[in-house]
Amino acid sequence: MSVDPVLPTPSQTLTPRIQTAVLCVGIAFLALLLRLWYLQILEGDRFFALSTSNRLRVRPVEAPRGFILDRHGEILVENRPTFDLFATPEDVVNPDEVAATLAGILRAPVAEIQARLAEGGDRPYQPLLIRKDLDEQMMVAVEERRLDLPGISLRIRPTRAYPSGGIAANLLGYVSEVNQAQLQREEFQDFRPGENLGQAGVERRFDAFIRGIDGGEQVEVDARGRALRLVSRLEPRSGSNIYLTIDKRIQEAAEAAFAGKKGTVVAMNPTTGEILAMVSRPSYDPNMFAQRLTAEEWQRIADDATHPLQNRAFQAQYPPGSVFKLMVAIAGLESGALTPETKFGCPGYFYLGNVRFDDWKKGGHGTLDLRSAIVNSCNVYFYQAGLKVGIEEMTRVARAFGLGDPPGLGLGDEAAGSLPNPQPRRRGQPGWSAGNTVVASIGQGPVVTSPMQLLSMVSAIANGGTIYRPFVVKRIAALSGEVLDEYEPEPLRHLSIKPETLAFIRQAMLGVVNEGTGFRAKVPGIPIGGKTGTAQVVRKGEGKGNAELKDHGWFVSFAPVDNPQIAVVVLVENGGFGGLVAAPVAKAVHEAAFGARSPFARQEPADIKEPEIGD
Amino acid sequence: MFDRRLLTHFDWSFVAAILGMAALGILTIYSANTMATSAFRKSLYLRQTLWAGMGMVGLIAACLVSYRTLWRFAYVIFGVSVALLVLVLVMGKTGMGAQRWIRIAGFAFQPSEFAKLGLVLFLARYFDDQRNAIRDVRGLLLPVGLSALCMLLVLKQPDLGTALLLGFITLSMLLMLGLQWRRLMPVIIGGGALAPLLWVALKDYQRRRILVFLNPDLDPLGAGYHIAQSKIAVGSGGAFGKGWLAASQSQLNFLPLNHTDFIFAVLAEQWGFLGCLVVLLTYFYLITKGFQIARDCTDLFAALLASGISTMLAIQVLINTTMVLGLMPVVGIPLPLLSYGGSSLLVTMLGMGLLLNIHMRRFMY
Repeated sequence: MSVDPVLPTPSQTLTPRIQTAVLCVGIAFLALLLRLWYLQILEGDRFFALSTSNRLRVRPVEAPRGFILDRHGEILVENRPTFDLFATPEDVVNPDEVAATLAGILRAPVAEIQARLAEGGDRPYQPLLIRKDLDEQMMVAVEERRLDLPGISLRIRPTRAYPSGGIAANLLGYVSEVNQAQLQREEFQDFRPGENLGQAGVERRFDAFIRGIDGGEQVEVDARGRALRLVSRLEPRSGSNIYLTIDKRIQEAAEAAFAGKKGTVVAMNPTTGEILAMVSRPSYDPNMFAQRLTAEEWQRIADDATHPLQNRAFQAQYPPGSVFKLMVAIAGLESGALTPETKFGCPGYFYLGNVRFDDWKKGGHGTLDLRSAIVNSCNVYFYQAGLKVGIEEMTRVARAFGLGDPPGLGLGDEAAGSLPNPQPRRRGQPGWSAGNTVVASIGQGPVVTSPMQLLSMVSAIANGGTIYRPFVVKRIAALSGEVLDEYEPEPLRHLSIKPETLAFIRQAMLGVVNEGTGFRAKVPGIPIGGKTGTAQVVRKGEGKGNAELKDHGWFVSFAPVDNPQIAVVVLVENGGFGGLVAAPVAKAVHEAAFGARSPFARQEPADIKEPEIGD
Repeated sequence: MFDRRLLTHFDWSFVAAILGMAALGILTIYSANTMATSAFRKSLYLRQTLWAGMGMVGLIAACLVSYRTLWRFAYVIFGVSVALLVLVLVMGKTGMGAQRWIRIAGFAFQPSEFAKLGLVLFLARYFDDQRNAIRDVRGLLLPVGLSALCMLLVLKQPDLGTALLLGFITLSMLLMLGLQWRRLMPVIIGGGALAPLLWVALKDYQRRRILVFLNPDLDPLGAGYHIAQSKIAVGSGGAFGKGWLAASQSQLNFLPLNHTDFIFAVLAEQWGFLGCLVVLLTYFYLITKGFQIARDCTDLFAALLASGISTMLAIQVLINTTMVLGLMPVVGIPLPLLSYGGSSLLVTMLGMGLLLNIHMRRFMY
């Protein structure tokens, strides 16, 4: 930055140009002022009139949400048009009279209508939803009394409908208005109050695809908010349809078999990870969310101790009980601690030092080999086998099979369960003891799993050692049929387990159903492999009479044993023995899957290219 | 570094004008969002205040640094702003379908705003170094090339408005330096031939913007709507405006972006012709003051810097207001000091600080 005497000084070069620049800017500003003069002074009155008495309004035209269908195209969730009543508070010039009139038509308390109208206080130009889904009589009444109801309008809007009833409610989720808490967040800043949003399950996770794009109308309205003319309209774009991996027939069979029970049933294709059915009870009626819920109604649902909104399939966790014995067996066979010939005696009890551990069968099973121990679910055998195998090996194999980690369904928070973390004795800590191992060997104590995790585990046993990511969405397709996204099976990892080990276990599980504790799951003509489990809720003797404290009943299975196409997990909360309450549910599911008119045997319509289950 | 004597040259009325505009901006944003449906939107004026505070600090910092330091680091600062432009493309936070922001400590910074200042600094320094560059095309290759690079990076975000702005700034500074129109001819002709190519390169909605400008009825819910509503809002303000918080047209959801690109419409509706006159006069004052400072410089770098910053301010004000008044297609350029936008506010105040800096030190060299 020097001042060079030879070249002209900056001011000499720049000054004339700067002057030109200032002149140009000045002229531009003058032009602006002229334009402002035109708009504000010359045409000011006209624009003022436009802005007050005759107004331009933009009204959204809601896009219909995409359907949710099962793998064969059976509709699980669709839309139906409803007549909804709206009020634009600014135009409701006499709210008390309007509220009284509406109360009569809608057969609702005046106070409730008044409260709804008052809600729009700080947004007087926004249409406010007063009541959804008016019936014909109400609509006629509203139309007749139009003149007495300034600011009130009826609009046809799409509402969620469930032609299959409430099946798979926890999986599908529900749709409701965006709530106050959500509106505060930046991610929802473009949402209008009253706009619908998928709030749980598939509706939520895939909301971006399902919701479509709203259109709108530019409408000129008069001082009373009544539309004078439609200036223009932008058509909404429908949302995309979601094809689930669920098979409606199997789902319905599972729902029916689970009537009156609490817990969950999940069916999956063990060679692909496709979820064929998912039941979670207690459940809820998704239709109830279509109407606006009051704060009290919401609280009741949220506080319900039975957690109907929870999807127990992957969000709840329980001790696996005897199902965990499969892990002990596999760990033993792999490390060599156990062989198919390994025998232990079972007199009905087992002493570890001074502590006595009982078997569920008084009198015991006698001396058993490994297969018999699995078939008869002998606790005492596994107490001893577990000590021989060791807690580390047991846990290592369990972890390899996916226990202790969330399965990765992508439908929301997943229970991770927990596996033992044996620590040596330290100051203040008792450390891991043999007694802990004994308890863990039968799937109690520090072992906790979600039903989904056990299903993955059984599937890996069935398919020869591959863990697949479970998934529920097969395909996302636009209304035109154009496929936007297709999901393929995703093998997560292949376990390095000897094929002989898994083959042995499969055969033992076949024995469970044919001769053993799982006989209630037997279906003639279909070789089914399974394992029963009973998870204690409280220690023996404590409050056993109390129904809420009864043991949970498990049953895991797969079929057909030689070429598995379906794997099932059943968990009946507080149901008692797994073989008694859970196995029959699995039987119903297998019957539906393989029966005479089963989806497996179904002829596919020519235009839908769907893989057979097991493809 | 800090000399008592500098204080005597501190231009208080200049600073007062800047602060006054920033305050007006905060008030107008507050009023624009009174009808907003989300609590987040309603609190935006508080965020703007925070940014204004940072802007003040930046302004003072820009005054204190010696412009020898600025001169030394001009290329570095430019390099950093280009790097940030690349960074935002790679990892930027997406909002409104564009990748424009980088998040640091809860604040979102827009590198394209900082690139404006960076470009001005670069051009000022370059032409101070290369006195003869303006004379022939070869000397222009580097600055124009780098400027085009910035434009391209910004265009990729996509941000058509700021890309155009960068182009305008470069062009104005070249003209300021004495670029002759004759030299411009081949460029203009070449540009004219390239226009169809440019049309193809524009994104769908950008083309729509231009078409809608020519015929607003094409897009009644989008840009056409914007323009129609903006004119109604502005015009309905009349001579004296509707008054504080009474700008119903622009407060309602009928004028989207009312707190950002269309803030002038809110102002016009509230304060009418009188209010607009005051605001425009203040802008004019700031701009001419800036050019005055440039003219009084004995140092070429400082003169270029000052005129570059003034040009930057002038072009943005003109583009934004003509857009709001329906005289230009809708391009996303914020109105300096008034629009909601932390990075824009910060960069404008930094620029003003630099002008003050040059003004204060004009007798030191």
